[in-house]
Amino acid sequence: MRKEVFVINPKDNVATLVSEDGTKGRRVEADVNGKSQAFELKDAIPFGHKFAISPIAKGTQVIKYGYSIGTATENIQPGQHVHIHNIESNRGRGDLVQQKEKTA
Amino acid sequence: MQHNGSSNKVPKTWLGYRRPDGQVGGRNFLLMLSGTLYANCVCERVSDMTFNTIPVVHPLGRCQVMPDLRLTVRTLIGMGKNPNCGAVIVVDHHKETGCEAEEIAHEIAKTGKPVAAINIRGSGGVIEATAQALRTALDFHRKISGQRREEVPVSDLVFGMNCGTSDTTSGISSNKAVGIVCDLVIDQGGRSILAETTEMLGGEEVLVARAATAAVGEKIWFITKRMEKRALESGEDIRGSQPTGDNILGGLSSIEEKSLGAIQKSGTKPIVDVVEFAEGIGKASGLYIMDTPGHGGESITGIAAAGSQVLTFSTGGGHTINHPVMTTIRLTGNRISYEKMKDTVEVDVSDIFDGTPIEEAGIRLYNEVIDTASGKLTKCEILKENNAMAIHRIGISI
Repeated sequence: MRKEVFVINPKDNVATLVSEDGTKGRRVEADVNGKSQAFELKDAIPFGHKFAISPIAKGTQVIKYGYSIGTATENIQPGQHVHIHNIESNRGRGDLVQQKEKTA
Repeated sequence: MQHNGSSNKVPKTWLGYRRPDGQVGGRNFLLMLSGTLYANCVCERVSDMTFNTIPVVHPLGRCQVMPDLRLTVRTLIGMGKNPNCGAVIVVDHHKETGCEAEEIAHEIAKTGKPVAAINIRGSGGVIEATAQALRTALDFHRKISGQRREEVPVSDLVFGMNCGTSDTTSGISSNKAVGIVCDLVIDQGGRSILAETTEMLGGEEVLVARAATAAVGEKIWFITKRMEKRALESGEDIRGSQPTGDNILGGLSSIEEKSLGAIQKSGTKPIVDVVEFAEGIGKASGLYIMDTPGHGGESITGIAAAGSQVLTFSTGGGHTINHPVMTTIRLTGNRISYEKMKDTVEVDVSDIFDGTPIEEAGIRLYNEVIDTASGKLTKCEILKENNAMAIHRIGISI
């Protein structure tokens, strides 16, 4: 059977949509901790991109594979697209080091 | 032993060329190894003129700061020592201090395979150097082409792993399949190499938890911190460089996400050691980490220098990457990418998304690795798509 929504770890707050039909407003089913849960896609989700499966508050961690993949830069609702427009990496941030040096 | 059940069903031997030093090659070509960029054309010319001859050319070998030059030389020696090369001709130009063809040939000759060094000026120019190399090539090919493949155990395999142009399918399909192959090789006494230190940033805890000893764990922290320091010193956000533009198009949002997907390649076995770029690995069976950058060509060149005969390159977007010395198999779990890039992608594991168990896809890939190491040609070998010779640099040109 074709599976299109992947939640990798029980701690995750995002799911990956492996489907070419990520039309906004579409309802998809995801297996979350052994339970089937329905989500309405609040944005158009391109093939392989992520959407939130629980509310993610601005400044908190986005979790995939059970680990942080970055910090939310705005409040994200379930079904919303999660990508570079609303999360920031916590690693290799030479730009932040430079900002800190300028203000020091 | 997680894959015991499946290990019973998979081939336990492959067919290779036993070298005088005990290593086993999956290929038996003559390598034309350029010591300096000014010898590249002689190497390419002789390769064009003879059967089953592979050129290794590059833009380095001169005016490098010494630590960087030493890394270049170690990499070039590693190319020649790789058991896929049956014989080697090293060519240089005039006098490259610290990177002379004679010195490189001398190190490679310790493997016992036929090796020659040719100096362009010493030969009397490129025409004479070409003629000299051509005569040597004729002789070497007559010597090595009579060798037959023999049945050898998987413990004689050094299995390389790399990924590139990753997307979000990589961490849940193709890299998982590679992890199964990695485990199967180690189950049978072989060695596997994981690399791409940049793609460990954010996944360090997962890897350190699998370190065989505390000292190995420390080494993992050391190389990841050193790599992150390089990124921080640039004064910019590494997003755009890592993840790359194609990674971001494919849905990867940060280096952490890319890393957590990339390390799925490494299967489940303990990590027995961490080595520097292009450094040889130990004799003991197990999973090794090599410190390489996320740049695919540089990373797989480092792995080839450690003696790996065959590498799987998992990709999300599809790829053309192919190493001239180390046989490279490309796979993807993205069906759209396979369709677009099937000229250079050998294995499609996108059926994982149709319900094929990952274990089954992993065994399919393992069989392809065994068949390819035993002589089956890859698409890129047939097309001579030898694009991935890239030597990592740790210093500037001066």
